[in-house]
Amino acid sequence: MTGIPLNIDLQQIMLHLFNFTILFGALYILLYKPVKDFMAKRTDYYADMDKRAEDALREAQTSKEAYDEKVKNFDEEARTERANMNKEVSEQRERQLAQAKEEAEKIVSDARTEANREKDEIIASAQKEITEMVTGAMEKLTLEQSASDAFDQFLDAAEAQ
Amino acid sequence: MSKQEKRKAALIFAVIALVFMVGAILTGGGSGEEETIQEVMRDAVLHDINKVSLLGMEVNPGLLAGVIVSGIMIVFALICRIFFIPKFTMVPGKFQLVLETAVGLFDNMAKGNSKINGFLGAYIFAAGSYIFTGTLFELFGVQAVTTNGVSISLPAPLSDINGAIMMGCLSYLVIMSGGIAGNGVRGIGKTLKEYSLPISLSFRLFGALLSGALVTELVYYYSSLSYVLPVLVGVLFTLLHALIQAYVLTMLTSLFYGQVSDNTPKPPKEKRHRKNKKTITSTETAEPAEAAAA
Repeated sequence: MTGIPLNIDLQQIMLHLFNFTILFGALYILLYKPVKDFMAKRTDYYADMDKRAEDALREAQTSKEAYDEKVKNFDEEARTERANMNKEVSEQRERQLAQAKEEAEKIVSDARTEANREKDEIIASAQKEITEMVTGAMEKLTLEQSASDAFDQFLDAAEAQ
Repeated sequence: MSKQEKRKAALIFAVIALVFMVGAILTGGGSGEEETIQEVMRDAVLHDINKVSLLGMEVNPGLLAGVIVSGIMIVFALICRIFFIPKFTMVPGKFQLVLETAVGLFDNMAKGNSKINGFLGAYIFAAGSYIFTGTLFELFGVQAVTTNGVSISLPAPLSDINGAIMMGCLSYLVIMSGGIAGNGVRGIGKTLKEYSLPISLSFRLFGALLSGALVTELVYYYSSLSYVLPVLVGVLFTLLHALIQAYVLTMLTSLFYGQVSDNTPKPPKEKRHRKNKKTITSTETAEPAEAAAA
């Protein structure tokens, strides 16, 4: 028995230490590190999945915002477009109405001019015909008168001779 | 199972238990009473009578127990490494969950107590597992033959004073290494301030495990106490102090490790202003207040 109380033995402490050191090394290499590595890997895996999900969510949020903005703009745009179209249609209608009116007036005016012209022509033609008829009648009359006159003159001349 | 079958099973169980009890009584009074209870207890404390042979050296039974426990743990770790860890899945099964909980418990304890925790986690994992498994080891009553030719059941490795001193001093050295890692030479000073720590760690462990061993020895020494009582004393108490001692040592180690490795600068102390003994009259106090207001 050594002089140290409680039977403390330095050699046995060293042997215990040696034993525990080997156990520590083995447990670290065989159990602690692989399990911890796996846990870290899983944490990374889920963190990555979480990050991807967050990114996707953020992207979806951005898309939704853009879509909402687009829808909002689309409504506004559609309203403006509709107003513009209405205005244009209205202008066009006005324009067409004016044009139609103008054309109608022109047609009426042309028709009137044509009618007048035709009327004048008819009158002129009638006048001409009447004149011709009168002239003819007169000529006939004149001719008939001059033939009898000529005959009379001939007879007179013949008589005179 | 019908009522009659249940009654039959209970009767068979009672007969078997009775046979074992009679057998225990008839075979009692043999080797257990070769030593007196005083000798058994003295030897449990001092380990000066019963020595075992280990590689030609005469050592305390606790050291042999330590070697056997380490061997069992290494084989277990090897089996886990070869057969289970490669099959780990992202959603853990029951056994994987047990391993991950054990590793995570010590790792989180290290992380919770210290910023520099890489080595600490591994150390307290090994120390905690060793204390827990070593304490449970005494439950199995593994037999060894002493150099005197007497058969003894091997105790917990850390109920040997040498094993407890090793664990206490090693924990202190680990704490000191944390001090050096966190604060350099100043860390050594910080650790040395806790000079009583190796003794308290060692003897706390030794005392706790020895008391468990002594109570168990006492109970098992007398055959009249060997019925029913060992279920509480032998199993429940051993389980409890296996858990408690593993937790206490690892917790204390990580706490002190965190304390000595902490390198955050202290906030500057506020200078104490001497109280002016002279009593200030209300007119005197009014002047600076008015000046401040102006």
